[in-house]
Amino acid sequence: MSRTLTQIMAVTSMNLRSIPQRIWTSLSTVIAIGFVTGVLLAFLALANGFAATVSGTGSPDVAVILRKGGDELSSVLTREQTLLMQEAPGIAKSADGKPLMSPELYVVIDGIKKSSQTKANLPLRGLGTLADQVRKGVRISSGRMFRTGTNELVVGRSVSKQFEGFEVGKQIRLASQNWTVVGEFEANGSVFESELWADVAVLQGLYQRGSTVQSVRARLQSPDSLQKVKDFAEADPRIKLDVKSEQAFYAAQSKGMSDVIQYLGWPLAIAMSFGALAGALNTMYASVDARMREIATLRALGFGGLPAFVGTMAESLLLSVVGGLLGALGVYLFFDGLSAATLGGNFTQVVFSMKLSGDLVLQGVILALVIGFVGGFFPAWRAARVPILAAFRAG
Amino acid sequence: MTFLQLIRKNLFRKKLRTALTIFAIFIAFLIFGVLATFQNGMNAGVDLAGADRLIVTNKINFTQPMPIAYVSRVAAVPGIARVAHASWFGGYYQEPKNFLVSFAIDPASYLDIYSEYVVAPAQREAFLRDRGGVLVGKVVADTYGFKVGDRIPLKSSIWRQKNGSDTWDFTVSGIVTPREARVDTNFVMFHYEYFKETRDVGGDTIGWMIVKTANTKDNERIIKTIDTQFANSPFETETKTEQAFNKAFIEQMGDLGFIILAVVGSAFVTILLIVGNTMMLTVRERTNEIAVLKTIGFTGERIFALIIGESLLLAVIGGLLGVGLAWLISFGMAQAMSSFGPMTFSLNTALTSFVLIATLGVLTGFVPAYRAMKLDVVTALGRK
Repeated sequence: MSRTLTQIMAVTSMNLRSIPQRIWTSLSTVIAIGFVTGVLLAFLALANGFAATVSGTGSPDVAVILRKGGDELSSVLTREQTLLMQEAPGIAKSADGKPLMSPELYVVIDGIKKSSQTKANLPLRGLGTLADQVRKGVRISSGRMFRTGTNELVVGRSVSKQFEGFEVGKQIRLASQNWTVVGEFEANGSVFESELWADVAVLQGLYQRGSTVQSVRARLQSPDSLQKVKDFAEADPRIKLDVKSEQAFYAAQSKGMSDVIQYLGWPLAIAMSFGALAGALNTMYASVDARMREIATLRALGFGGLPAFVGTMAESLLLSVVGGLLGALGVYLFFDGLSAATLGGNFTQVVFSMKLSGDLVLQGVILALVIGFVGGFFPAWRAARVPILAAFRAG
Repeated sequence: MTFLQLIRKNLFRKKLRTALTIFAIFIAFLIFGVLATFQNGMNAGVDLAGADRLIVTNKINFTQPMPIAYVSRVAAVPGIARVAHASWFGGYYQEPKNFLVSFAIDPASYLDIYSEYVVAPAQREAFLRDRGGVLVGKVVADTYGFKVGDRIPLKSSIWRQKNGSDTWDFTVSGIVTPREARVDTNFVMFHYEYFKETRDVGGDTIGWMIVKTANTKDNERIIKTIDTQFANSPFETETKTEQAFNKAFIEQMGDLGFIILAVVGSAFVTILLIVGNTMMLTVRERTNEIAVLKTIGFTGERIFALIIGESLLLAVIGGLLGVGLAWLISFGMAQAMSSFGPMTFSLNTALTSFVLIATLGVLTGFVPAYRAMKLDVVTALGRK
């Protein structure tokens, strides 16, 4: 047994040390596998980054209140409904006893994408006066917060990064009125960073919405009090509104898009894998053919078939792992953290960063190993069955 | 043995290796063909946009409304042939997942401007007469089995009727067929007047206007005239060519063009390496043979042509198989992915793939062919 082991070690090391003799062939396989892994990981990093941004938005102790069956863009709440909801049990109160609620508007405005110089939909959210106590984890990173009752707005960090003309101090024009960007905010990398915020009452005037709003955000006493608010909204026929936890609301939105990206990435990578597999097989067959005499000579010396098999497999697997890791490195260097934007759940832009993770790299390396395994197996099989006579044939 | 026969015999000497190489090429061209079909579908709106059509939207964003009074004010601008308007309905059939591209239009002018939508004259007449009628695009009609005369309830995720219902009942007046395959017919449209009178809010507003200019040379001037006219009003406008508008709309998804280019590019770099590598191996193995061919009188140029011919044949076989399958798949995509746009395998895609096939064949064969051409007979035969 240990004899076979020694033989395996010897043949494997011969195999690996002979790679430089076939450097161009081997390199082309490594690079081909690298590209396949790279394409897969780029798609997975996109899907992962998008999901992280969207599902990282929203807190379990904030409730989103919308019209039945409505999303944030199409929902309408009357003033009466909003006022009635203030009586709901389970909603936290401010120091002076007011329910912590923020009636909000959500309208779409145009921004110019820096990357493509084309227009894209950006959400402009009108916030109620207690919004800062409802939504935790928001920090003004430069400038200041807008003042109630003025044409001032603050922009999310992602908006100023990806879109033109939203730097602090800039003026923008909406419906023949000038607005000033007075600050930029951070919100833990969430979707809110892709939004612009202003005072809800000013927006109601600008958009002729009267006293209606589109949604109400409410801070819950605890995540468990969600049910109490739900029951309250359900019981009163004058209210009849949907109440969801903000966390669940955004988790549902993240699913569609990141699924689409993944469903695109995998089939493409698998199709490309078949191409790379053909390349790997060619390389490994060539490697076996080139060492035909060497393998036969070893057989003549009493080496078994197994060492020849393992040696060839080891070579193939090594090439594929190197290729897979190179692909991952390429994605890490060129794409990780790269900022991208696409349409999110509300027909508005969501800015996110491509995000590679150890788990994804593992998936990529596994794909590479599968290519290496299949690409090595058949040539290794041939190597194991090289007849001793081949040693004496004229090469 | 003719020259071509020689190439063919050479190519299939190592059957397994050749088959694998052809397979790799096949895959790359399959990916190219399928992604190009997808891109054709996504870009149909941009490629087919009428050069004489302008889109007028609210300057804040195209989802914001504008007063219907704007239509006649725009129509008065000199150089305009026709003005139509439309309003987004945000409709779906039965369940929200059956989302429908749906809008309320001014029927006569809209159909006049969009001449690529073909409606049988009798159906067109019926639609213009029936305020509760709806025109259904062929894609939608095929998906849900709608036929002329059907009563269909459409729900809106945005609007409510004055009676509180979110459902409007329509009668299918006609089916819109595309004038050519790349025209998208994934939509339904109905009378604005009926919509306006039944909805609870919105009043006399419309979503956007479509302007047909008499002469495309006047586009710039007309765009300026329209936007200046409404400047400093509560509803400022932004006018763009239809092409620019459609392009911006697609770009909202992200840089699809770049993603497709990157994937196709990676696939091609990969096969360039794989095929190039195979050709190098092949020629190296045949060093002696090539020397013999030279000895019996084959010129260097002929040897060069022999090798290039072989790599070209590889590329042609693999490429045509891949493109051919992609072409077949494109018919399935046209059915299955009609909601993204009209997926078509265009002539342009076919021509591009032929260029790619030729390039691949030449690039992968060039270095080995050059080496073979320059091969010194004495050293080659003596090397043994």
